Amino acid sequence: MSEEKMEREIDRRIELCQQFPHGITDQVIQNDMPHLEPQQRAAAINKLLSLGQLDLLRNSSGLLYRMKDAQSASKMKGSDNQEKLVYQIIEDAGNKGIWSRDIRFKSNLPLTEINKILKNLESKKLIKAVKSVAASKKKVYMLYNLQPDRSVTGGAWYSDQDFESEFVEVLNQQCFKFLQTKADMSRDSKQSPMVQRNSSFATSHEVWKYICELGISKVDLSMDDIETILNTLIYDGKVEMTVIAAKEGTVGSVDGQMKLYRGVNPVIQPTGLVKTPCGLCPVFDDCHEGGEISPSNCIYMTEWLDF
Amino acid sequence: MTAQEVRLCGLLLREHFGEVVEKVGTHLLRSGAQNLRTIIHETGLPLDLVKKSLCVLVQHGACNFRSGRKGPGCPTEYQASGDRILRILRYPRYIYTAKTLYGDTGELIIEELLQRGHMTMSSTVKTVADRLTQNMEEGRSMDYSEVTSAFSKLVETQFLQRCPPMGGARNTKDTTPGTPASTALLTPESFPDCYKVPHITLIGRGKRRHSSDDGEDQKSAKKAKMDPETHGDEGIYWQVNFERFHLHFRDQAVISAVANKLDQTCSEIVRTMLRMSEVTTSPSATCTKPLSANEIFRSLPASYNILRPILDQYLTLLVDDPMEFVGKAGESGGGMFVVNLHRALANLARATLESAVQERFGSRSARIFRLLLRKRHLEQKQVEDFAMIPAKEAKDMLYTLLSQNLVQLQEIPKTPDYAPSRTFYLYTVNQLPTARMLLQNCYKTVANLIERRLFETKESKRLLEKSQRIEAILASLQVSGAEPEQLTEVEEMITAPEKQQLESLRLHINKLDSAENQVDETMFLLEAYVSSTATSTA
Repeated sequence: MSEEKMEREIDRRIELCQQFPHGITDQVIQNDMPHLEPQQRAAAINKLLSLGQLDLLRNSSGLLYRMKDAQSASKMKGSDNQEKLVYQIIEDAGNKGIWSRDIRFKSNLPLTEINKILKNLESKKLIKAVKSVAASKKKVYMLYNLQPDRSVTGGAWYSDQDFESEFVEVLNQQCFKFLQTKADMSRDSKQSPMVQRNSSFATSHEVWKYICELGISKVDLSMDDIETILNTLIYDGKVEMTVIAAKEGTVGSVDGQMKLYRGVNPVIQPTGLVKTPCGLCPVFDDCHEGGEISPSNCIYMTEWLDF
Repeated sequence: MTAQEVRLCGLLLREHFGEVVEKVGTHLLRSGAQNLRTIIHETGLPLDLVKKSLCVLVQHGACNFRSGRKGPGCPTEYQASGDRILRILRYPRYIYTAKTLYGDTGELIIEELLQRGHMTMSSTVKTVADRLTQNMEEGRSMDYSEVTSAFSKLVETQFLQRCPPMGGARNTKDTTPGTPASTALLTPESFPDCYKVPHITLIGRGKRRHSSDDGEDQKSAKKAKMDPETHGDEGIYWQVNFERFHLHFRDQAVISAVANKLDQTCSEIVRTMLRMSEVTTSPSATCTKPLSANEIFRSLPASYNILRPILDQYLTLLVDDPMEFVGKAGESGGGMFVVNLHRALANLARATLESAVQERFGSRSARIFRLLLRKRHLEQKQVEDFAMIPAKEAKDMLYTLLSQNLVQLQEIPKTPDYAPSRTFYLYTVNQLPTARMLLQNCYKTVANLIERRLFETKESKRLLEKSQRIEAILASLQVSGAEPEQLTEVEEMITAPEKQQLESLRLHINKLDSAENQVDETMFLLEAYVSSTATSTA
């Protein structure tokens, strides 16, 4: 008798839950079925929870019961509670993923259990492991269909956790060549100096378009990426940058400003000190007259003099 | 004076004046001001040698004397100035500059004055005229008036100056009776007649010296020194004004930097501006006096006929350039412009440092160095990100630069106990201390080059002596009219490999010499930068 009643309660509860997709509190159930005792209510709720059709949540005013998606309910059908817990923690970590040690802290499960569960979930294709670029031995776990965040993979310059230095070098040289040819062209045009200088400038947008059209990059590069490359050229002393105010809406302007880049020549020739062997000597500090290493028996000097 | 500077000064003194002077000079440099008795006691040299060395040093302006610090009646103290001795390294550059500006006459005047230290105008003119006449063809000789006019031109542009009169004796031109002349070291500029050319009566032409008159001429030269013909300028001695030459070098460095960075026309404009403010700007000024665009337009050389609006455009370009060589100081007269000297020097010094790092450690380390110069303080992770260098290599390069003291580490603790895991470690570059360090390296480098040169000469001493003897024999044979066979016989006394050795020795010595001059250029830039920061912060 009570079994049937239970069945009816459960159905009733499911209907209620479906009516309120955001969840129903205990209060609502009581109002709906006032003739039930709290024990029976609790038993019905527990039954639904164990079946995995109900989600138990807590909000500011008390406990909430929410209907679970039919799909996700089916997913977890075969798993037990621990796995469900671990899955929940990983889901909460979202884009950044979560480290196995952190999972252990949050769920208070022993390490061996965690590893077993993680392997299980991976084989079911519910989660995946992504190697972090910051610490190469660390693995973070995230949901299978999520795109890993930029901070984990390192962005456009990393492919499989390796910094692609040749790629960066190639881009570096291409950008520099582009700016240099532009500067040379403007210098040969023999117009008034102001026009010359202005025509030797290139906006970051132009450089970006040029690089995209060149097609040397397999990955799509954003304008910010190109700007980081151009910054390295500035630190090489080959390029200078100015910022000008641009109208909002012109191509390539960001917050009403545009960055202009221009190839420049070095200010001085290599300085006199480095034209001598002493300027480049690795043992400069050990060199004394009368010692093992001295100007009189310096092999670098001998080679340089016979050059 | 640092140890490296003292070592370099010692080598320079030994080369130019001999070992005795070197001993006295280095002793004075190391121990500061001392009186005669202490010098004799500590160097162990006899009295007359010490006196002569001090005379030599004073004659060249490397040593000053003044009465003792403990009050009048104390014996005079002598103090050597290391800076003046280091200038000896730069003599070739001074002579070359004089040659480019004033021709052969100017070159010889400067050369004579550098060799003798202090000289009167009349004796300089006579010596130079004689030397010039020597090199001219037969039958022509140099007129004294030409040399005198060259001399006056040099004085007008302040390349030569009068030596400050000593001790109140003889005819001083200034009248400051209250000043005891020996309590302070007086600079030449403190005398109002510093650049006034005296009126001398010197008419004549240079005398050609024939080889047969060798003996006679030497005697007459000695006699001339003992028995001066009065020309109206006794007691007025002249010396080379090094500061003026330095200003000239600095201007040249700025102009060539502008030419490298921008283009030829811009450098001509800057050259005009600097020329106009040559005598109106004080040596330690931060920037030149403001010049209006109208004045610049009028003073441009006639060959550069550019239109006025184009000139304005060039000036705007110069002002907008990130290197900030030229600045705008106002709007009157079509725009007032100044040349920012201190900033230009700082930029040039920074370029020198960057080039030194680049040549020594590679272009990626140079990238890190420039990055740190721009961004001041950075953590290691940020350095890797900005420079786009893989983490391992960036770490390696940073540590190398740190071990060479080109980059410094700044610790910022998060907690009162400086626990390493809770501290920020920031890398930074300080331009001024790094420049000083590089300057000391330059001193050491030049000293090394000089020592190597002396070593090479010593190694081949025997060979050099032999070749000199053979040349002397050849010369005497030629004069006395010998037959060709005898000449060839004598020539064959030097074997072919020996000739090769001599040739390579000559090449080595030339290379070392020119390297010394190149390092001296770096030294000049860095010294100018360091002294400019000292005056601006003082």
